[in-house]
Amino acid sequence: MSARTFKTDESVDFVVVGSGAAGGVIARELSVAGFSVVVLEQGPRLNATDFEHDELKYTFLHGITNDPVASPQTFRRSAADTARQGNGVMNPLVYARIVGGSSTHFTANYWRFHEIDFNERSVLGGIPGTAFADWPISYRDLEPYYTRVEWDIGVSGLAGSSPFDPPRSKPYPMPPLPVKSSGVLLERGARKLGLHPFPAPMAIVSKPYRGRPACVNCGFCIGFGCEVMAKSSVLYTMIPEAEATGRCEVRSRSYVFRVESDPQGRATGVHYFDSEKRAHFQKARAVVVSANGAETPRLLLNSTSARFPHGLANSSGMVGKHLMFNQQTAVHAVFEHELNEYKSVQVTRVVHDFYNSDPRRGFYGGGGIDARIGRQPIGWALASGGDLPTWGQALKARMEAFPRSMVAAGHATSLPLETNNVSLDPTLKDAWGIPAIRVTYKDHPDDLATARFIRDRSADIVAAAGAQKIWKEEVTERSLSVHLLGTCRMGNDAARSVTDKYHRAHDVPNLFICDGSSFVTSGRGQPTMTIQALAFRAADHMARFARAGEI
Amino acid sequence: MNEQNGSRRSFLFALGGLSTSAWLATSWREIAVAADHAAHVAATTPAQFGFLSPADAADVDAITAQILPSGATPGAREAHAVYFIDRALATFFADRGPAFRAGLEEFQRSFRKALPAATAFAAANAGEQVAFVTSVERTEFFQSVRVLTIVGTLSLGQYGGNYAGTGWKLMGFEDQHVFSPPFGYYDRDYAGFVVGNA
Repeated sequence: MSARTFKTDESVDFVVVGSGAAGGVIARELSVAGFSVVVLEQGPRLNATDFEHDELKYTFLHGITNDPVASPQTFRRSAADTARQGNGVMNPLVYARIVGGSSTHFTANYWRFHEIDFNERSVLGGIPGTAFADWPISYRDLEPYYTRVEWDIGVSGLAGSSPFDPPRSKPYPMPPLPVKSSGVLLERGARKLGLHPFPAPMAIVSKPYRGRPACVNCGFCIGFGCEVMAKSSVLYTMIPEAEATGRCEVRSRSYVFRVESDPQGRATGVHYFDSEKRAHFQKARAVVVSANGAETPRLLLNSTSARFPHGLANSSGMVGKHLMFNQQTAVHAVFEHELNEYKSVQVTRVVHDFYNSDPRRGFYGGGGIDARIGRQPIGWALASGGDLPTWGQALKARMEAFPRSMVAAGHATSLPLETNNVSLDPTLKDAWGIPAIRVTYKDHPDDLATARFIRDRSADIVAAAGAQKIWKEEVTERSLSVHLLGTCRMGNDAARSVTDKYHRAHDVPNLFICDGSSFVTSGRGQPTMTIQALAFRAADHMARFARAGEI
Repeated sequence: MNEQNGSRRSFLFALGGLSTSAWLATSWREIAVAADHAAHVAATTPAQFGFLSPADAADVDAITAQILPSGATPGAREAHAVYFIDRALATFFADRGPAFRAGLEEFQRSFRKALPAATAFAAANAGEQVAFVTSVERTEFFQSVRVLTIVGTLSLGQYGGNYAGTGWKLMGFEDQHVFSPPFGYYDRDYAGFVVGNA
């Protein structure tokens, strides 16, 4: 598949751990800039023809996500508790284990973070008991790279459609995707309430773009790989372009378990297992870790040495800390006529009127609301709780209401807490004998209050749109997430952060970390757009350092 | 709902609780291999049960028909959910077979105790079946049959159920890979997006 291969004893300029949203971008940018790059991805490489509309496999049996049997994790609410493994159904931290990473199976919501997301601590003040902080970069620093994402990767949207959008230097490269009935209803309800709905920015192409066809509206985006390459995963965009340079090799089924460093404190390469569990060592002048907010801190914590006894790049003790999930809420609504939400992309309209935190609410936080399908058929029919019928004519009637139903979904803030973290489980190991992830997580009370607030505003909107029946999912403490944020935060203070504002580890000059772990605060959900903007920016600086002989 | 429906957010909720999730803890790869094999066997031999006896299959079929009843629209029976359950227990859920069999025997014992005059659950009338299922709806066995019935009715046919797409028809779900707008009633006459709150 790769246009070029490298020997493991050949010291490449950069070895990139992870081929996902960030790793794919960095590999492309560095190889286009003239550097040799090896990307190591633990999962397999699949192509568009390998994906299928198989809900049982993709949604319930972790067909392309991390396997809780081979790669188990444990969970606890606080350090005082004993972490326990689940029953093998699903890990607490979920990601796609495949070339392209979670950019392959994501929903593809691609709103930009707002200016406030980067300096909220300065605007609002501190929040006792939290690590609420400003980012070391501003929206202005990142704006050119948001534009790179939209144009180089391919994002559909309508500039100027939201009064809350931050400034932008270019419009979207293509128009929004066709509106769905859920979008029309969200728009209708929101406008009745004086709100400002707008077309959803989506990393799914609405017209042929850079050699890829337009979306065919098959509806299987969330949790599924795209069968026509219309979803702008790095699998279909950045990675082929990196390989086309002749300077990049993507090595799949290659599980990195240790970053090696020398006595001088410089990274020398990475150890990994191939598909046959044989260990190899790939030499490199510099190492980039983009393994996601769960696996990046785990890898660093597993890379101890005499010089780094608490894990690589962890003199601050901040590796793994400040795990953030984003709050997510759901309000189900049934209407008189058919919506057929199983058709087309998941989201076509968004509301950002409640994005900013408002002290008058009495708690910190804010979020966005969108309209979408709730679950695919099996998930829909299996749902239980509240007054939902579980068998008989009543269940059948509920199933028959499937085409008339939608969800108003809320996406909101999570505060950074040092007590919420990824650490190594003291006893549990994965199928390769490597210490497993232990998750410690308990939502801050403001996060739960924000979730209830956003959920209730979502309910207001579908009620205003004329829903016949509304069902609000209960807001409960989180124990599972696909948004894996904050665990190697950037910062100017080496004692309180893992990397500097260029994503270079404070402790290791030729080690770079860029993915969801880099976040300082959570934003209001939909993190991948910002992960990729960070990746474009980080790659620029990596290339600059390399050219200057500083790696 | 989640990002797996969001879904993953409320995953156990989506699954309907722990009794559901226990059935879905198997790697799909094991299922896929077994399902391929089972599909091959089914294609080359007359339809027959591999795990359930005919009498047990009749009872399980009757339970599935109470979970998703037939009527003006098809139900679990028309979707061949019992064949999915049998195939699953004979192949990819074989390790759960003994527990399922024990649960079924307990279900049958309880039924005979409740209705001594009845010969079998499958032979009881609809009212008797509904009354009995109501009395056992919280048992692990019934919850297991519920999960397997729904999965068997709505998963891909290659897994043994959802005969001729019956389950999807029940849900109003069209099994197509290409759709064009309008997708539903409310976007048919959409006038176009207007910036602001017009």
